[in-house]
Amino acid sequence: MSTVASAVPAIELRGLIKDFSVGLRGVKLRAVDDLSLRVPAGQVFGLLGPNGSGKSTTIKIILGLLEPTAGGCRVFGLPSTQVEARVDVGYLPESPYFYRHLSGRELVRFYARICGLGGAKVAPRVAEVIDWVGLTEAADRLVGTYSKGMLQRIGLAQALVHDPRLVILDEPTSGVDPVGAAAISELILQLKAQGKTVLITSHLLTQIEEICDRVAILDRGRLILEGAVCDLVGRAERQALIVEKLSPSELQELRGWLGLRGRTLEAVTAPRARLDQIFLERVGRGEAKNPEGGG
Amino acid sequence: MSRVHFSLIRVLLIARNTLLEASRQKLFSFLLLLALGLVGGAQSFREFNFGASELKFLADLGYGAMAFFGAALTITATAQLFFSEIENRTALTLLAKPVWRAEFMLGKYLGVVAVTAVFCALMTVLLVAVLWSRESALLRDIPDSFTQGRTLRIADLLLAGYLQWLKLTVLAAFTLLVASFSRTQLFTVVTGFFVLVICHLQYLARDAYAQGGSTFAQVAAGFVGLLFPNFQLFNFADDVGAGIPVAWDRVARVSVYALGHVAAACGLAVFSFRKREI
Amino acid sequence: MWRRHAGSRSSVFANVKSRLLAIFVTLGGLALTGAGLRWMEAPLWAALRAEQPALRLGSAGAAAGQGVTLGLLGGFRAIVADFTWLRLHVIWEQRDLAATDTLLRLVTTIDPRPLYFWVNGARIIAFDMTAWRIAEAGGHEVLPAVQRDRLGAEQARLAIRLLEEAMTFHPGNAALWIERANIELNRLRDGEAAAESYRKAWEQPGAPTYAARLHAELLRRLGRKAEALVWLTRLHPQLPPEEEGTELVLSRIRDLERELAVPVMQTYRPAASVPPGRSAGESRK
Repeated sequence: MSTVASAVPAIELRGLIKDFSVGLRGVKLRAVDDLSLRVPAGQVFGLLGPNGSGKSTTIKIILGLLEPTAGGCRVFGLPSTQVEARVDVGYLPESPYFYRHLSGRELVRFYARICGLGGAKVAPRVAEVIDWVGLTEAADRLVGTYSKGMLQRIGLAQALVHDPRLVILDEPTSGVDPVGAAAISELILQLKAQGKTVLITSHLLTQIEEICDRVAILDRGRLILEGAVCDLVGRAERQALIVEKLSPSELQELRGWLGLRGRTLEAVTAPRARLDQIFLERVGRGEAKNPEGGG
Repeated sequence: MSRVHFSLIRVLLIARNTLLEASRQKLFSFLLLLALGLVGGAQSFREFNFGASELKFLADLGYGAMAFFGAALTITATAQLFFSEIENRTALTLLAKPVWRAEFMLGKYLGVVAVTAVFCALMTVLLVAVLWSRESALLRDIPDSFTQGRTLRIADLLLAGYLQWLKLTVLAAFTLLVASFSRTQLFTVVTGFFVLVICHLQYLARDAYAQGGSTFAQVAAGFVGLLFPNFQLFNFADDVGAGIPVAWDRVARVSVYALGHVAAACGLAVFSFRKREI
Repeated sequence: MWRRHAGSRSSVFANVKSRLLAIFVTLGGLALTGAGLRWMEAPLWAALRAEQPALRLGSAGAAAGQGVTLGLLGGFRAIVADFTWLRLHVIWEQRDLAATDTLLRLVTTIDPRPLYFWVNGARIIAFDMTAWRIAEAGGHEVLPAVQRDRLGAEQARLAIRLLEEAMTFHPGNAALWIERANIELNRLRDGEAAAESYRKAWEQPGAPTYAARLHAELLRRLGRKAEALVWLTRLHPQLPPEEEGTELVLSRIRDLERELAVPVMQTYRPAASVPPGRSAGESRK
């Protein structure tokens, strides 16, 4: 990618407002309120917020599925209302439903051809993305028989089949078990390593924290916080030391030592392992690519 | 970035997918089996000893079944296949790709048209087979009624099937137009059936218009006559049953007439769907 | 959570305006299309209505209230007529004269195109209904012949009226004239009228040869043998030699020549002549 190209943000929202009219009287429901954001190319960007905060509406505007009431939205410099703006975008909707009568392979092939892929390139590319999301063994089964996790993965495959520069994932781990969620996190990190821009919304804040470079938090359609993850979650004035268990006399000695230097020991706790880590250790990440997993 | 042009390939891909989806639905199979069963079961006309006229009864029943079940299939399939995309959010995924909304709508339309084509083709083939075998039997049993030889003209039977299909293509376009602005599938289906009845009866409104009445009624009836196509023009199947040959030039004119209405209804459906919030 | 914004006057107006615009564009587009296609539709529709007088406001009104309106609304004229005929068939088996008559009128009103309805309807009126009325009045043994003939004549006239109505829908149809001739001959016992109807039948396109032969036969029976002979000698050259009836016509010519004692030199020699009821040079298969 050229320097000029990378200077163009993947997504740029300026003063975005989206109102929905209800009834003939035109009572407005404001879903997005004066939202301005820049998603730099090559980053994993998390869009956070409670239910109804305007995340999905924002995504639909970026995808050109909704027109903004006011303000503007550009994708790689193009207005999102143009069909051309979607050429380099892959999208995985929240709780995706796909054509149940197609097999996984047929579904991805359908979207590949819709995106303009043709000829001899289609079959190997379809096989490649299906393999990449770990669904090779289930590729010829009807989508209607897929579990929730498999639907998310085939959704990811269709989003990536045309090798887009921007991938938008709306709640990609919604309803997926921790193994499936971890596998999806891994795939997202791989996308980042490939230089793709990823815009992700998720309720799993731990997951967001682990994979995102930047996050924005929305509430009632408004941007209330935005910044790099490390800046937002790091507390520079505090430190935690993890040592082997101290005896009461040793602990007293430590307090005295700190007191001499004008410091206080604020808390003494036993460190706890995170339950999801224990789950993943026991179940094994290797199974994350099991086609039956994640449902 | 290069421009994304309107693509017939994308339209056909969406149409093929729509056809595939419809063919896997129970409603399609149910209506098809019902209609085929009705035509197949028409053998019971033998009991009435109509003689050579039994063929007319068979043809009428066959084309009647095609018109009735075809209309039901067209309206429900158009509404169902359109709203399943919206409600199942598959339209979301599809329209998030570089796809024009016009391509989506025309793809859906052509898919439904293909469904009706399969339905009409199967029905016509079965009907021709039933009529042919029955005429052969009658030729043996009552040769005096067939002094001129066979009375069935296969070309006319096929043309009548084509005209039934042509009518359904117009009905599908109007149902799609309703679906493009309707919020619910039920509203679309009910309105679709109203459109069907109005299209069959608009000539009566025109008669009333011609015969007088209040100025408002005249203008309203005239306007209705303009809005809706006249489906009576397509009812050549009745002529086939009555033994009247189908005029090819008239078929060509009706085809152009249907194409005009289909183009307008589809164009307006695309216009209406253009800004629809998915 | 989304926030509600009371619609300002301008937003309400904009909302209504955009909806009205959509409705206007849709209705306008359809109306323009309808108007644009009128030039193509009008002659088609005019031709269709000329052929199908049933496509009139009156015919739908006449059928209204008979349980068939809905079928007509859906454009299932032919099949509704067929099923009405089946209903008629059931009623006919019950010998219900009034109901049969009503359904007969209904069938021919709904769909006057099939000849089958007219021809069979006329037969039912002329023959079956006569038999029913005689049976109702006590039967052949009880009812005097004069009264039986009167009933038969009444029914025959009703049947002929039906056939005359059919002829307005099917002008130039030989089968209707033949049916009329049969009724005149067998019910009214009116040879003159029947001979005339057979002649009219023969004048229609596609008429069977036997109509022309029966015309001559009736003339012969009425004592108009010379007229019959002229008719047959003009008929014979038009008939294809391979047809069975051609030989029969020649044999009838010879019979009449014998009966009229035509000199040998003046007897008919098969050769081209002007056919009866049509211009010279016109031939018939």
